[in-house]
Amino acid sequence: MNDPDQGQGPDANPEETIARQAAEIAQLREQLADEQFAQELRAALALAATVSAIAAPISHGGLLDMIVATAAEIIAARAAALFLIDEESQELVFEVALGQKAEEVKKFRVPLGHGIAGLVAVTGQPMAISDAQSDARQAADIARGVGYVPHNILCVPLVHEDQIVGVLELLDKQGAPSFSTGDMQVLGHFANLAAVAIEHSRASQHLAELMDEVLHVVTPAPGQPAPELRQRARTFAAHTEDDAPYRRALEMAWLVQQIVQQGEHETKACQTILRGFADYLRTRAALSGEPGTRR
Amino acid sequence: MSIGRPAWSSQFSEDELEALPPVPHLDDMTPAWAWGDSTGQGVKVAVIDSGIDADHPAVGGPLSGYVAIREADEEIIFDTAPHGDDFGHGTACAGIIRAVAPACELYSVKVLGAGLAGRGTVFAAGLRWAIDNGMQVCNLSLGTTKRDFFALLHELADLAYFRNVMLVTAANNMPIPSFPSVYASVISVACHDGQDPYIFYYNPHPPVEFGAPGIDIRVAWRDGGWITMTGNSLSAPHITGLMAKILGKHPGLTLFQMKVILRALAANVSNK
Repeated sequence: MNDPDQGQGPDANPEETIARQAAEIAQLREQLADEQFAQELRAALALAATVSAIAAPISHGGLLDMIVATAAEIIAARAAALFLIDEESQELVFEVALGQKAEEVKKFRVPLGHGIAGLVAVTGQPMAISDAQSDARQAADIARGVGYVPHNILCVPLVHEDQIVGVLELLDKQGAPSFSTGDMQVLGHFANLAAVAIEHSRASQHLAELMDEVLHVVTPAPGQPAPELRQRARTFAAHTEDDAPYRRALEMAWLVQQIVQQGEHETKACQTILRGFADYLRTRAALSGEPGTRR
Repeated sequence: MSIGRPAWSSQFSEDELEALPPVPHLDDMTPAWAWGDSTGQGVKVAVIDSGIDADHPAVGGPLSGYVAIREADEEIIFDTAPHGDDFGHGTACAGIIRAVAPACELYSVKVLGAGLAGRGTVFAAGLRWAIDNGMQVCNLSLGTTKRDFFALLHELADLAYFRNVMLVTAANNMPIPSFPSVYASVISVACHDGQDPYIFYYNPHPPVEFGAPGIDIRVAWRDGGWITMTGNSLSAPHITGLMAKILGKHPGLTLFQMKVILRALAANVSNK
């Protein structure tokens, strides 16, 4: 039997109680909405991460940095730069710059057609300059970019599908007077890798933008943003990459990607093997009564 | 009832059949026979590129014509006023051509310069202009990778072949097809590491059929400057210059005859 006084303060008045309860309910609802949102966000991010991991094994600019650095090391160049075409302004924008002033030059732009980089971008023809210092204007753009005037330059276009999306440039051949046509061909292969990586990172950037839009849409009331929620979502997204399970998943995705790149037969074989293994694990878990999802 | 002669056979009828001069024996084709002291005089050569700086000492004299092509409001504009070269690339090509064929009639067909937008269309318009305006040799040290232009450029390359306009294209060193350098109706050139403009090679495995100097070549550049450069862009004009020289001595050669002559004179032929 209920005591009518139980749960109420001795001096409570009914109006205050109703208001307090209403506030508690609203708070609970908000919490629930937040939790549900967080769950949906987590699921969406996990999916996005997996998709982008399959497409681009090391996320974002990291892969491009790696490609440019490896190209510079293998071809023995002192410095390197990767530019992307900004279609709107018809300029080349530094995306990766390996050199002394790498960070501060990323805002620097080169008009299409100018300098060797700009010329390679419009002609689509790989080019090398072996006496860049004799005509400083050729080197001026890149010199500002990497913080010194190079002696020689090797530059190839980045072509994705059939579009020129940028250029990859190496500076100052080490151990030889200038870059060779062999170097040009090798750099061409790196340029192909970079072009694919760029397209994939653009795709994942689109995912990030999409995510941002979603956050905007789910904002509780029009004109009343929920900064905390959005901040939490962003923090969550930022920390995802530092997460150990995420990194393991990434490694797995990278392995799968290598197989997928081999062709359709290999992909099918991989699917069959993985599906078989997953089925086996599920069956084993069911038989032993253990949860089948994680060890 | 008589059966009508198919249209394409009429030129082989007795009254219309054209009498042609004999083709010399392949072994008789020597540089002295092929170009001798020809300077390329009277041969119309178009450089379809970034423009030409006619005042550059490497170009060595006035041009015979100019056309700068651009796209504005979905219209193609042809401007025949004299122009320069903001990039240097076209001047480099013109300098190489004039070094071999100093008296050839040079035409600057400027298709680079107005940014990338509509570039394929402008490039095709430049090629069309060269075909329609009686150019004999066109130097194309550039191309497009865009598949959208495959058919249009193919059609123009065939039209050029039928009108006996010879297209000399720089092959692309990248593992990507660049149009029109991969068509059979053009002369596709890549670089070898020699410096002698008269030494070139033949490759019996197309699309790249000829090799010409293109490594560490000192070339004219913008604002009267010079640079030392490597690229197939520089190999094509070497062959363009030689062809202008050959046409100066043997007007009326067709592209397949030209290919035979170049094949016979290639430095990797065993009797050389």
